[in-house]
Amino acid sequence: MNGVHDLGGMHGLGPIVREENEPVFHAEWERRAFAITMAAGFLGEWNIDMSRHSRELMPPAEYLATSYYEHWLWGLEHLLVEKGLLTKEEIEARVAELRKGAVR
Amino acid sequence: MSHEHRHEHGGTPQRPLTETELRVRALESLLTEKGLVDPKALDALIDTYETKVGPRNGARVVARAWVDPAYKARLLNDATAAIAELGYTGRQGEEMVVLENTPTVHNMVVCTLCSCYPWPVLGLPPVWYKSPPYRSRAVLDPRGVLGEFGVALPDGVEVRVWDSTSEVRYLVLPERPPGTEGMSEGELAALVTRDSMIGVARVAPPVRPAAGTPA
Amino acid sequence: MRVLRAQDVGKVLLKGGPARVNEPVSPRFRPGDRVHTRTINPTGHTRLPRYARGRRGVVDRDWGVFIFPDSSAAGRGAKPQHLYSVRFEARDLWGPAASARDAIYLDLWDDYLDPVEVGGSAAAPPDTPHR
Repeated sequence: MNGVHDLGGMHGLGPIVREENEPVFHAEWERRAFAITMAAGFLGEWNIDMSRHSRELMPPAEYLATSYYEHWLWGLEHLLVEKGLLTKEEIEARVAELRKGAVR
Repeated sequence: MSHEHRHEHGGTPQRPLTETELRVRALESLLTEKGLVDPKALDALIDTYETKVGPRNGARVVARAWVDPAYKARLLNDATAAIAELGYTGRQGEEMVVLENTPTVHNMVVCTLCSCYPWPVLGLPPVWYKSPPYRSRAVLDPRGVLGEFGVALPDGVEVRVWDSTSEVRYLVLPERPPGTEGMSEGELAALVTRDSMIGVARVAPPVRPAAGTPA
Repeated sequence: MRVLRAQDVGKVLLKGGPARVNEPVSPRFRPGDRVHTRTINPTGHTRLPRYARGRRGVVDRDWGVFIFPDSSAAGRGAKPQHLYSVRFEARDLWGPAASARDAIYLDLWDDYLDPVEVGGSAAAPPDTPHR
Protein backbone atom coordinates (compact mmCIF):
# COMPACT_ATOMS: atom_id res chain seq x y z
CA MET A 1 0.00 0.00 0.00
CA ASN A 2 1.09 3.57 -0.63
CA GLY A 3 1.42 4.32 3.05
CA VAL A 4 3.53 6.74 5.01
CA HIS A 5 5.68 3.81 6.17
CA ASP A 6 7.17 3.81 2.65
CA LEU A 7 9.62 6.54 3.56
CA GLY A 8 12.46 6.13 1.08
CA GLY A 9 13.20 9.40 -0.69
CA MET A 10 11.10 11.76 1.45
CA HIS A 11 12.43 15.16 2.47
CA GLY A 12 11.76 17.24 5.54
CA LEU A 13 11.68 14.60 8.25
CA GLY A 14 14.45 16.25 10.24
CA PRO A 15 17.92 15.40 11.44
CA ILE A 16 18.96 11.91 12.48
CA VAL A 17 18.97 11.97 16.26
CA ARG A 18 21.40 9.58 17.91
CA GLU A 19 21.71 8.66 21.56
CA GLU A 20 25.00 7.78 23.24
CA ASN A 21 24.91 4.45 25.08
CA GLU A 22 21.33 3.91 24.05
CA PRO A 23 19.45 1.34 26.15
CA VAL A 24 17.68 -1.53 24.37
CA PHE A 25 14.36 -0.30 25.77
CA HIS A 26 13.56 3.22 26.93
CA ALA A 27 10.68 2.40 29.28
CA GLU A 28 9.03 -0.57 30.92
CA TRP A 29 6.04 -0.34 28.57
CA GLU A 30 8.39 -0.79 25.59
CA ARG A 31 9.70 -4.03 27.10
CA ARG A 32 6.17 -5.30 27.60
CA ALA A 33 4.96 -4.16 24.16
CA PHE A 34 7.92 -5.92 22.52
CA ALA A 35 7.42 -9.13 24.47
CA ILE A 36 3.64 -9.46 24.09
CA THR A 37 3.97 -8.80 20.35
CA MET A 38 6.63 -11.48 20.00
CA ALA A 39 4.76 -13.97 22.20
CA ALA A 40 1.43 -13.36 20.44
CA GLY A 41 3.18 -13.87 17.10
CA PHE A 42 4.15 -17.38 18.19
CA LEU A 43 0.46 -18.29 18.53
CA GLY A 44 0.61 -18.83 14.77
CA GLU A 45 -2.55 -16.85 14.02
CA TRP A 46 -0.67 -14.54 11.66
CA ASN A 47 2.67 -14.40 9.87
CA ILE A 48 5.41 -11.77 9.78
CA ASP A 49 4.07 -10.23 6.57
CA MET A 50 0.63 -9.75 8.14
CA SER A 51 2.35 -8.34 11.17
CA ARG A 52 4.24 -5.75 9.09
CA HIS A 53 1.08 -4.89 7.16
CA SER A 54 -0.88 -4.33 10.37
CA ARG A 55 1.55 -1.56 11.34
CA GLU A 56 1.25 0.02 7.90
CA LEU A 57 -2.49 0.41 8.49
CA MET A 58 -1.94 2.93 11.27
CA PRO A 59 -3.26 6.34 10.11
CA PRO A 60 -0.37 8.28 8.54
CA ALA A 61 -0.46 11.32 10.82
CA GLU A 62 -0.50 9.03 13.85
CA TYR A 63 2.33 6.90 12.45
CA LEU A 64 4.63 9.91 12.10
CA ALA A 65 3.67 11.30 15.51
CA THR A 66 4.30 8.13 17.49
CA SER A 67 7.28 6.00 18.41
CA TYR A 68 8.33 2.64 17.10
CA TYR A 69 6.81 0.43 19.80
CA GLU A 70 3.58 2.41 19.56
CA HIS A 71 3.45 1.20 15.95
CA TRP A 72 3.94 -2.34 17.23
CA LEU A 73 1.22 -1.90 19.81
CA TRP A 74 -1.24 -0.51 17.27
CA GLY A 75 -0.50 -3.39 14.88
CA LEU A 76 -0.83 -5.99 17.63
CA GLU A 77 -4.18 -4.63 18.76
CA HIS A 78 -5.38 -4.64 15.15
CA LEU A 79 -4.36 -8.28 14.64
CA LEU A 80 -5.76 -9.50 17.95
CA VAL A 81 -9.15 -7.99 17.11
CA GLU A 82 -9.04 -9.06 13.45
CA LYS A 83 -8.29 -12.66 14.41
CA GLY A 84 -10.94 -12.64 17.13
CA LEU A 85 -8.56 -13.29 20.02
CA LEU A 86 -9.73 -10.13 21.80
CA THR A 87 -12.60 -7.77 21.12
CA LYS A 88 -12.35 -4.03 20.80
CA GLU A 89 -14.90 -3.75 23.62
CA GLU A 90 -12.98 -5.83 26.12
CA ILE A 91 -9.78 -3.93 25.36
CA GLU A 92 -11.50 -0.56 25.90
CA ALA A 93 -13.19 -1.83 29.04
CA ARG A 94 -9.86 -2.97 30.45
CA VAL A 95 -8.18 0.32 29.54
CA ALA A 96 -11.00 2.18 31.35
CA GLU A 97 -10.64 -0.02 34.45
CA LEU A 98 -6.90 0.52 34.54
CA ARG A 99 -7.34 4.26 34.09
CA LYS A 100 -9.55 4.33 37.18
CA GLY A 101 -6.67 2.80 39.07
CA ALA A 102 -7.85 -0.78 39.22
CA VAL A 103 -4.30 -2.07 39.10
CA ARG A 104 -3.87 -5.62 37.89
CA MET B 1 19.35 1.39 32.93
CA SER B 2 18.07 4.64 34.34
CA HIS B 3 16.60 5.11 37.78
CA GLU B 4 13.25 6.10 36.28
CA HIS B 5 12.80 2.75 34.56
CA ARG B 6 13.13 0.94 37.86
CA HIS B 7 10.23 2.91 39.32
CA GLU B 8 7.96 1.62 36.63
CA HIS B 9 8.60 -2.00 37.46
CA GLY B 10 5.68 -3.73 39.09
CA GLY B 11 4.23 -1.58 41.87
CA THR B 12 2.16 1.57 41.73
CA PRO B 13 3.77 4.17 39.51
CA GLN B 14 4.53 7.66 40.77
CA ARG B 15 2.42 9.34 38.07
CA PRO B 16 -0.72 8.50 36.12
CA LEU B 17 -0.16 5.99 33.35
CA THR B 18 0.00 7.37 29.83
CA GLU B 19 -2.55 6.20 27.26
CA THR B 20 0.11 3.99 25.70
CA GLU B 21 1.06 2.43 29.04
CA LEU B 22 -2.60 1.76 29.77
CA ARG B 23 -3.08 0.00 26.45
CA VAL B 24 0.03 -2.15 26.88
CA ARG B 25 -1.16 -3.20 30.34
CA ALA B 26 -4.65 -3.85 29.05
CA LEU B 27 -3.40 -6.14 26.30
CA GLU B 28 -0.89 -7.91 28.51
CA SER B 29 -3.42 -8.55 31.28
CA LEU B 30 -6.12 -9.79 28.87
CA LEU B 31 -3.72 -12.04 26.97
CA THR B 32 -2.38 -13.47 30.20
CA GLU B 33 -5.84 -14.13 31.66
CA LYS B 34 -6.88 -15.95 28.50
CA GLY B 35 -3.77 -18.08 28.65
CA LEU B 36 -2.49 -16.76 25.32
CA VAL B 37 0.80 -15.54 26.73
CA ASP B 38 2.91 -16.95 29.51
CA PRO B 39 4.23 -14.10 31.71
CA LYS B 40 7.48 -16.00 32.27
CA ALA B 41 7.96 -16.25 28.51
CA LEU B 42 7.59 -12.47 28.30
CA ASP B 43 10.35 -12.03 30.85
CA ALA B 44 12.56 -14.49 28.96
CA LEU B 45 12.01 -12.63 25.68
CA ILE B 46 12.92 -9.31 27.27
CA ASP B 47 15.95 -10.76 29.01
CA THR B 48 17.21 -12.32 25.76
CA TYR B 49 17.28 -9.06 23.84
CA GLU B 50 18.28 -6.89 26.77
CA THR B 51 21.19 -8.96 28.04
CA LYS B 52 22.12 -11.83 25.73
CA VAL B 53 21.88 -10.63 22.12
CA GLY B 54 23.57 -7.46 20.96
CA PRO B 55 26.30 -5.90 18.84
CA ARG B 56 29.05 -7.67 20.78
CA ASN B 57 28.01 -10.76 18.81
CA GLY B 58 28.56 -9.02 15.50
CA ALA B 59 31.85 -7.57 16.75
CA ARG B 60 33.12 -11.11 17.38
CA VAL B 61 32.20 -12.06 13.81
CA VAL B 62 34.07 -9.03 12.44
CA ALA B 63 37.16 -9.60 14.59
CA ARG B 64 37.30 -13.26 13.57
CA ALA B 65 37.11 -12.27 9.91
CA TRP B 66 39.95 -9.78 10.41
CA VAL B 67 42.32 -12.34 11.90
CA ASP B 68 41.30 -15.48 10.03
CA PRO B 69 41.30 -15.26 6.21
CA ALA B 70 39.65 -18.67 5.84
CA TYR B 71 36.82 -17.59 8.14
CA LYS B 72 36.46 -14.35 6.22
CA ALA B 73 36.17 -16.29 2.95
CA ARG B 74 33.44 -18.49 4.46
CA LEU B 75 31.68 -15.42 5.85
CA LEU B 76 31.54 -13.68 2.49
CA ASN B 77 30.51 -16.88 0.74
CA ASP B 78 27.82 -18.11 3.17
CA ALA B 79 27.34 -15.66 6.02
CA THR B 80 24.49 -17.57 7.67
CA ALA B 81 26.64 -20.67 8.10
CA ALA B 82 29.81 -18.79 9.08
CA ILE B 83 27.96 -16.73 11.70
CA ALA B 84 26.32 -19.90 13.01
CA GLU B 85 29.84 -21.27 13.64
CA LEU B 86 30.03 -18.70 16.45
CA GLY B 87 26.61 -19.71 17.73
CA TYR B 88 24.55 -16.82 16.39
CA THR B 89 21.45 -18.02 14.58
CA GLY B 90 17.73 -17.62 14.40
CA ARG B 91 15.08 -14.98 14.42
CA GLN B 92 15.75 -12.08 12.06
CA GLY B 93 19.07 -13.63 11.06
CA GLU B 94 17.83 -16.64 9.11
CA GLU B 95 19.36 -15.39 5.85
CA MET B 96 22.54 -13.46 6.56
CA VAL B 97 24.67 -11.66 4.00
CA VAL B 98 27.95 -9.92 4.84
CA LEU B 99 29.04 -6.87 2.85
CA GLU B 100 32.74 -6.04 2.88
CA ASN B 101 33.83 -2.42 3.04
CA THR B 102 37.05 -1.70 1.17
CA PRO B 103 39.04 1.41 0.26
CA THR B 104 36.89 1.71 -2.89
CA VAL B 105 33.44 0.43 -1.83
CA HIS B 106 31.43 1.57 1.20
CA ASN B 107 28.28 -0.36 2.10
CA MET B 108 25.52 0.90 4.38
CA VAL B 109 22.23 -0.72 5.38
CA VAL B 110 18.72 0.66 5.84
CA CYS B 111 15.15 -0.58 5.91
CA THR B 112 13.04 2.14 4.31
CA LEU B 113 9.75 0.25 4.78
CA CYS B 114 10.05 -0.81 8.42
CA SER B 115 12.99 -1.74 10.62
CA CYS B 116 14.60 -4.94 9.31
CA TYR B 117 17.88 -5.54 11.13
CA PRO B 118 20.07 -8.58 11.84
CA TRP B 119 19.00 -9.34 15.43
CA PRO B 120 21.28 -12.32 16.22
CA VAL B 121 24.43 -10.30 15.53
CA LEU B 122 23.38 -6.72 16.36
CA GLY B 123 20.45 -7.12 18.76
CA LEU B 124 17.43 -4.85 18.44
CA PRO B 125 17.95 -1.72 16.32
CA PRO B 126 18.61 1.72 17.81
CA VAL B 127 15.87 4.34 17.60
CA TRP B 128 17.60 6.34 14.86
CA TYR B 129 17.73 3.30 12.56
CA LYS B 130 13.94 2.89 12.84
CA SER B 131 13.23 6.61 12.56
CA PRO B 132 11.76 8.46 9.55
CA PRO B 133 14.80 10.75 9.11
CA TYR B 134 17.21 7.84 8.52
CA ARG B 135 14.78 5.67 6.56
CA SER B 136 13.84 8.51 4.21
CA ARG B 137 17.29 9.87 3.44
CA ALA B 138 19.65 6.88 3.55
CA VAL B 139 18.62 5.89 0.02
CA LEU B 140 18.20 9.41 -1.36
CA ASP B 141 21.29 11.07 0.04
CA PRO B 142 23.61 8.45 1.51
CA ARG B 143 26.66 10.72 1.47
CA GLY B 144 24.74 13.41 3.32
CA VAL B 145 23.61 10.88 5.90
CA LEU B 146 27.15 9.54 6.27
CA GLY B 147 28.30 13.13 6.78
CA GLU B 148 25.85 13.48 9.68
CA PHE B 149 27.50 10.42 11.19
CA GLY B 150 30.92 12.01 10.69
CA VAL B 151 31.98 9.83 7.77
CA ALA B 152 33.35 11.80 4.80
CA LEU B 153 34.01 9.65 1.75
CA PRO B 154 36.15 10.73 -1.21
CA ASP B 155 34.24 11.00 -4.49
CA GLY B 156 36.20 8.02 -5.79
CA VAL B 157 34.58 5.67 -3.27
CA GLU B 158 31.43 3.91 -4.45
CA VAL B 159 28.60 3.98 -1.91
CA ARG B 160 26.25 1.00 -1.95
CA VAL B 161 23.05 1.35 0.05
CA TRP B 162 21.23 -1.89 0.85
CA ASP B 163 17.49 -1.45 1.43
CA SER B 164 16.36 -4.50 3.45
CA THR B 165 13.14 -5.20 1.59
CA SER B 166 13.16 -8.99 2.13
CA GLU B 167 14.09 -11.43 4.90
CA VAL B 168 17.75 -11.21 3.87
CA ARG B 169 19.66 -9.46 6.66
CA TYR B 170 22.85 -7.52 6.05
CA LEU B 171 25.92 -7.10 8.23
CA VAL B 172 28.69 -4.77 7.11
CA LEU B 173 32.26 -6.00 7.55
CA PRO B 174 34.08 -2.73 8.24
CA GLU B 175 37.69 -2.10 7.28
CA ARG B 176 40.25 -3.06 9.89
CA PRO B 177 41.78 0.18 11.15
CA PRO B 178 45.50 0.86 10.93
CA GLY B 179 47.60 0.43 14.05
CA THR B 180 45.93 -2.81 15.09
CA GLU B 181 48.50 -5.23 13.72
CA GLY B 182 49.55 -6.68 17.04
CA MET B 183 46.10 -6.91 18.55
CA SER B 184 44.33 -10.09 19.60
CA GLU B 185 40.92 -11.11 18.33
CA GLY B 186 39.35 -10.03 21.61
CA GLU B 187 41.05 -6.64 21.55
CA LEU B 188 39.91 -6.14 17.97
CA ALA B 189 36.33 -7.07 18.81
CA ALA B 190 36.34 -4.37 21.48
CA LEU B 191 37.05 -1.77 18.80
CA VAL B 192 34.12 -2.73 16.58
CA THR B 193 31.05 -0.55 17.02
CA ARG B 194 27.43 -1.26 16.18
CA ASP B 195 27.34 1.68 13.76
CA SER B 196 30.35 0.37 11.83
CA MET B 197 28.44 -2.87 11.20
CA ILE B 198 25.42 -0.92 9.88
CA GLY B 199 27.85 0.97 7.65
CA VAL B 200 27.37 4.46 9.03
CA ALA B 201 30.74 4.62 10.79
CA ARG B 202 34.31 3.49 10.38
CA VAL B 203 36.11 1.55 13.06
CA ALA B 204 38.42 4.04 14.74
CA PRO B 205 42.03 3.08 15.35
CA PRO B 206 42.90 2.32 18.99
CA VAL B 207 43.47 5.39 21.11
CA ARG B 208 46.73 4.02 22.45
CA PRO B 209 49.12 1.79 20.56
CA ALA B 210 48.40 -1.87 21.13
CA ALA B 211 50.77 -3.84 23.33
CA GLY B 212 53.89 -4.72 21.43
CA THR B 213 53.49 -1.93 18.90
CA PRO B 214 56.62 0.21 18.76
CA ALA B 215 56.00 3.71 20.07
CA MET C 1 -2.95 -22.54 19.18
CA ARG C 2 0.46 -23.11 20.70
CA VAL C 3 1.36 -20.79 23.54
CA LEU C 4 5.03 -19.84 23.85
CA ARG C 5 6.41 -21.15 27.15
CA ALA C 6 9.36 -19.64 28.98
CA GLN C 7 11.45 -22.80 28.64
CA ASP C 8 11.03 -22.73 24.84
CA VAL C 9 11.97 -19.08 24.29
CA GLY C 10 15.69 -19.65 23.75
CA LYS C 11 15.08 -22.60 21.46
CA VAL C 12 12.51 -20.92 19.19
CA LEU C 13 14.54 -17.71 18.88
CA LEU C 14 17.67 -19.65 17.86
CA LYS C 15 15.62 -21.60 15.35
CA GLY C 16 13.93 -18.58 13.77
CA GLY C 17 11.27 -18.65 11.09
CA PRO C 18 12.79 -19.17 7.68
CA ALA C 19 11.20 -17.43 4.69
CA ARG C 20 13.23 -19.57 2.28
CA VAL C 21 11.14 -22.23 0.57
CA ASN C 22 12.54 -25.53 -0.66
CA GLU C 23 10.52 -25.77 -3.83
CA PRO C 24 11.86 -26.23 -7.36
CA VAL C 25 10.69 -22.91 -8.80
CA SER C 26 12.56 -21.72 -11.91
CA PRO C 27 14.14 -18.28 -11.83
CA ARG C 28 12.94 -15.79 -14.44
CA PHE C 29 16.23 -13.89 -14.33
CA ARG C 30 19.96 -14.46 -13.99
CA PRO C 31 22.64 -12.26 -12.49
CA GLY C 32 23.55 -9.63 -15.07
CA ASP C 33 20.04 -9.44 -16.54
CA ARG C 34 18.64 -5.95 -16.99
CA VAL C 35 15.23 -5.62 -15.41
CA HIS C 36 12.44 -3.11 -15.18
CA THR C 37 10.43 -2.91 -11.98
CA ARG C 38 6.69 -2.94 -12.40
CA THR C 39 4.56 0.10 -11.77
CA ILE C 40 2.13 -1.18 -9.17
CA ASN C 41 0.02 0.52 -6.51
CA PRO C 42 -1.53 -2.34 -4.55
CA THR C 43 -3.76 -1.47 -1.59
CA GLY C 44 -2.32 -4.44 0.32
CA HIS C 45 1.17 -5.15 1.61
CA THR C 46 4.11 -4.93 -0.78
CA ARG C 47 7.88 -4.80 -0.40
CA LEU C 48 8.44 -2.83 -3.58
CA PRO C 49 8.92 0.75 -2.33
CA ARG C 50 7.47 3.60 -4.36
CA TYR C 51 10.89 5.04 -5.12
CA ALA C 52 11.87 1.86 -6.99
CA ARG C 53 8.72 1.32 -9.05
CA GLY C 54 8.98 1.66 -12.82
CA ARG C 55 12.79 1.82 -12.68
CA ARG C 56 15.59 0.03 -14.45
CA GLY C 57 18.16 -2.05 -12.63
CA VAL C 58 20.43 -5.05 -13.01
CA VAL C 59 20.08 -8.38 -11.23
CA ASP C 60 23.16 -8.73 -9.04
CA ARG C 61 22.49 -12.01 -7.22
CA ASP C 62 19.79 -14.65 -7.03
CA TRP C 63 19.03 -15.44 -3.37
CA GLY C 64 16.88 -18.47 -4.18
CA VAL C 65 13.19 -19.21 -3.61
CA PHE C 66 11.31 -17.29 -0.92
CA ILE C 67 7.79 -16.64 0.35
CA PHE C 68 6.23 -13.73 -1.57
CA PRO C 69 5.14 -11.17 1.06
CA ASP C 70 2.41 -9.54 -1.02
CA SER C 71 0.58 -12.85 -1.17
CA SER C 72 1.49 -14.04 2.31
CA ALA C 73 0.34 -10.83 4.01
CA ALA C 74 -3.05 -11.12 2.34
CA GLY C 75 -3.50 -14.71 3.56
CA ARG C 76 -3.31 -16.00 0.00
CA GLY C 77 -0.43 -18.39 0.57
CA ALA C 78 3.32 -18.32 0.12
CA LYS C 79 3.40 -18.06 -3.71
CA PRO C 80 7.10 -19.04 -3.58
CA GLN C 81 9.35 -17.43 -6.17
CA HIS C 82 12.91 -16.29 -6.74
CA LEU C 83 14.22 -13.33 -4.82
CA TYR C 84 17.06 -11.28 -6.28
CA SER C 85 19.38 -8.54 -5.19
CA VAL C 86 18.82 -5.87 -7.83
CA ARG C 87 21.25 -3.01 -8.28
CA PHE C 88 19.95 0.44 -9.25
CA GLU C 89 22.30 3.25 -10.16
CA ALA C 90 21.57 6.17 -7.83
CA ARG C 91 20.97 8.43 -10.84
CA ASP C 92 18.37 6.06 -12.27
CA LEU C 93 16.37 6.46 -9.07
CA TRP C 94 17.06 10.07 -8.14
CA GLY C 95 18.24 11.89 -11.24
CA PRO C 96 21.38 13.79 -12.12
CA ALA C 97 21.88 15.33 -8.67
CA ALA C 98 22.79 11.90 -7.28
CA SER C 99 26.37 10.64 -7.31
CA ALA C 100 27.31 8.92 -10.56
CA ARG C 101 29.20 6.31 -8.57
CA ASP C 102 26.60 5.29 -6.02
CA ALA C 103 24.04 2.52 -6.15
CA ILE C 104 21.03 1.25 -4.22
CA TYR C 105 20.43 -2.49 -3.85
CA LEU C 106 16.96 -3.86 -3.17
CA ASP C 107 15.79 -7.44 -2.66
CA LEU C 108 13.02 -7.97 -5.19
CA TRP C 109 10.85 -10.94 -6.16
CA ASP C 110 10.05 -12.22 -9.65
CA ASP C 111 6.54 -10.73 -9.48
CA TYR C 112 7.99 -7.22 -9.22
CA LEU C 113 10.16 -7.53 -12.32
CA ASP C 114 9.95 -7.52 -16.10
CA PRO C 115 12.83 -8.10 -18.48
CA VAL C 116 14.36 -5.19 -20.34
CA GLU C 117 14.38 -6.44 -23.91
CA VAL C 118 17.75 -6.47 -25.62
CA GLY C 119 18.15 -3.32 -27.71
CA GLY C 120 14.63 -2.92 -26.60
CA SER C 121 11.66 -0.73 -26.32
CA ALA C 122 11.29 -1.40 -22.62
CA ALA C 123 14.53 0.50 -22.02
CA ALA C 124 14.49 4.21 -21.33
CA PRO C 125 14.41 6.51 -24.36
CA PRO C 126 17.85 7.04 -25.94
CA ASP C 127 18.00 10.67 -24.84
CA THR C 128 17.77 9.72 -21.17
CA PRO C 129 21.07 10.59 -19.50
CA HIS C 130 22.46 7.37 -18.23
CA ARG C 131 25.86 7.17 -16.62
